[in-house]
Amino acid sequence: MADSVEEIKKAKKLYLVIFGALLVGTVLTVAVATIPFLDVGGHGFDAADAVLGLIIASVKASLVMLIFMHLNHEKPLIYFFYGVGIVMAFFCMWLIGWSKSDPIQYGNSEKADGFYNPEKAATNVHGHD
Amino acid sequence: MEIPFIVNARKDTGLFNSKVGIWLFLASEVTLFGGLFSGYLFLRLYADYPWPERALPVLPGLINTFILIGSSVTVVFAWAALKMREWRKFQIYMWITLICAVLFLGLKGIEYNAKFHHQAVRLSSEGAVQDFGYLEGHVHYGKLDENGQLVEVSKEEKKENPEGVFSANKIIFKANELTFALKRPAHEAYVKEILKQAGDQHTISLVGDYRVIDEKELHAGGKNRAQLEASAAALVVADGAVLSIDDLDEMEEAFLQARAHDKEIRTEFLRASWSWIRDEKGIEDISNLVITTDLWKERMAEDNEKIKNLMLSAPGTVRYKIEPPLTLVWRPDDIPKLAKTELKLRDDTVVKGELQPSPMLLGVDAIDFRHTALRAEAEGIDPLEAIKQSWILTHKNSQGENELKKAWICHQAWLRHLTEKLDKTNEKKGLEGEDRLVPTENDKYRINWDQMVGYARLDYDPERVYQALSDEGSGEKLYRAGLFDLGGFAGADHSNKNYHFPHVEIPRENVGFTSTFTPKWNTYYAIYFTITGLHGLHVIGGAIVLGYYLFFGRKMYDSNPEWLANRVEVGGLFWHFVDLVWIFLFPILYLM
Repeated sequence: MADSVEEIKKAKKLYLVIFGALLVGTVLTVAVATIPFLDVGGHGFDAADAVLGLIIASVKASLVMLIFMHLNHEKPLIYFFYGVGIVMAFFCMWLIGWSKSDPIQYGNSEKADGFYNPEKAATNVHGHD
Repeated sequence: MEIPFIVNARKDTGLFNSKVGIWLFLASEVTLFGGLFSGYLFLRLYADYPWPERALPVLPGLINTFILIGSSVTVVFAWAALKMREWRKFQIYMWITLICAVLFLGLKGIEYNAKFHHQAVRLSSEGAVQDFGYLEGHVHYGKLDENGQLVEVSKEEKKENPEGVFSANKIIFKANELTFALKRPAHEAYVKEILKQAGDQHTISLVGDYRVIDEKELHAGGKNRAQLEASAAALVVADGAVLSIDDLDEMEEAFLQARAHDKEIRTEFLRASWSWIRDEKGIEDISNLVITTDLWKERMAEDNEKIKNLMLSAPGTVRYKIEPPLTLVWRPDDIPKLAKTELKLRDDTVVKGELQPSPMLLGVDAIDFRHTALRAEAEGIDPLEAIKQSWILTHKNSQGENELKKAWICHQAWLRHLTEKLDKTNEKKGLEGEDRLVPTENDKYRINWDQMVGYARLDYDPERVYQALSDEGSGEKLYRAGLFDLGGFAGADHSNKNYHFPHVEIPRENVGFTSTFTPKWNTYYAIYFTITGLHGLHVIGGAIVLGYYLFFGRKMYDSNPEWLANRVEVGGLFWHFVDLVWIFLFPILYLM
């Protein structure tokens, strides 16, 4: 934690630099999503755009956490708390991804009517069609 | 009492206590928003309808991102100012932070408001996939003429004379009879509405006496049922009584009391029969199977015969006739069941009469056939064939025209140009197979508001649209809203005189499902409002805390400035977290 006046003065300069970086990051996020020339992957929105958008957002979020929230020099207890929170959040998302491999899913019936078909599911335990 | 370790750090943690507290809280917040983002992921991965991709206007979201990032800097500067004992600077930075919070919420309010007034309709019609074409736009105004028929009212007319004017998405029904279900004692709102619409021109009166046998008279004995029913004590409300909430309440109470009485008697008999079958007939297994045996059925028949004369058997419904027939205007949400001669309100009140033409009058700013295409593909039908059968392309207005069809034809020219452009890039870059660039589903099947405006400006001439897009074109340009175009700031601006949006009359039978852009419309808007609403509440909560430091912090600053600095640090950490959530929300909700 920057406590002396000198350190705080130095930190304020860094805050402004980060502010600039966040603004640039935001403009970049919008640019890659709206300017066809900067479109990654196929034409229009696709997985590549989603990944790029999330990478930029993660970099921006990291800057806020590390510099504004002073996580670049914090005590171990706080890393522990925050770490647990983030692990839990990712666990939730992983569960959703995992549910994709559930054999009981939309369209695994013969008629594709969305109902569970045990016969088909029995031969399709991994959920792949 | 002195609270320990709020200025100086504890030795074991190396932290002052409130900092440990806020980080614990933030960790729980990460999990909370993590869960909501997971909810978003789940809804998107499993959506059984075309996800509204990049559906929100970007500019308000972008400005709000700048605002929140800016406030994150000012809040950390406010903390730094306190650390350097600069009260004045602290005040300035905190004020800017609070102004940012207000601006953020104001913009969010504008966005929300636009959604609350933007209507979506999923159409329903005969055809291979039952239509599923979507229209988006603004509902126009209407009122009833002297014959009880819907006539359109312009915005200006509405301003001059707002009486009787409603947004033209209503069920219009000429009613001559009402039947209230007394077992649903919640009629007040509807009765009030009916009486209000009836005014003093119509009489709504009870058909026949409402009578319930008096319990005391019944148990006193000496009278047969006909005498009991005819007795003065049985009369609750007399024939011809004019509809009133008090009367209905009275009848409901009488009915519910009688029902409770009857229930008690039935229970007594049932209990006796259970004992009989168990004790006298020796059937120990009193499972559900017993009730299917002949023994039980015979006993029940006997019981029913005995019970008949012990019950009050109050009628569950009451009928009112309306003279002369009254044209009622209902919100579609109020009517779960609708037929040509009968409708049912949500309180189970049945209204008999005649359904009047109840079209929805809509200024259309977008057409979306993605769901039609999705359903067609699932059925193995050519999507374009299914689209051709949609009400959107087959209907005709009173002049025999269909502007939406013209817009769709223009869109094909736009699509042709896009495909050619992508093909050129494919050729130039040597892209083949799955790598080839192709139009998206959005490109193929959706016409956005600015395209609607653009096609109308070129008189719906597909050739002119194509020419306007090509390099060696006519010099005309097809209008597209840029990122900074204020005409589409929070959605298409229907009051802008430079924009033309086709006006349609959608017959009620073709309105499959309709809603404003609220959680009711689809899961995307449900999760959008949930997450952004919760985030907005965090902004409000954070602003209140920071405002408290600003307006009530001076005393603490004078006595213990380091304590105040620590407080501001803790409040600031929460504020940064709010910014952090928005950093993810913005691209996910607005750009993906």
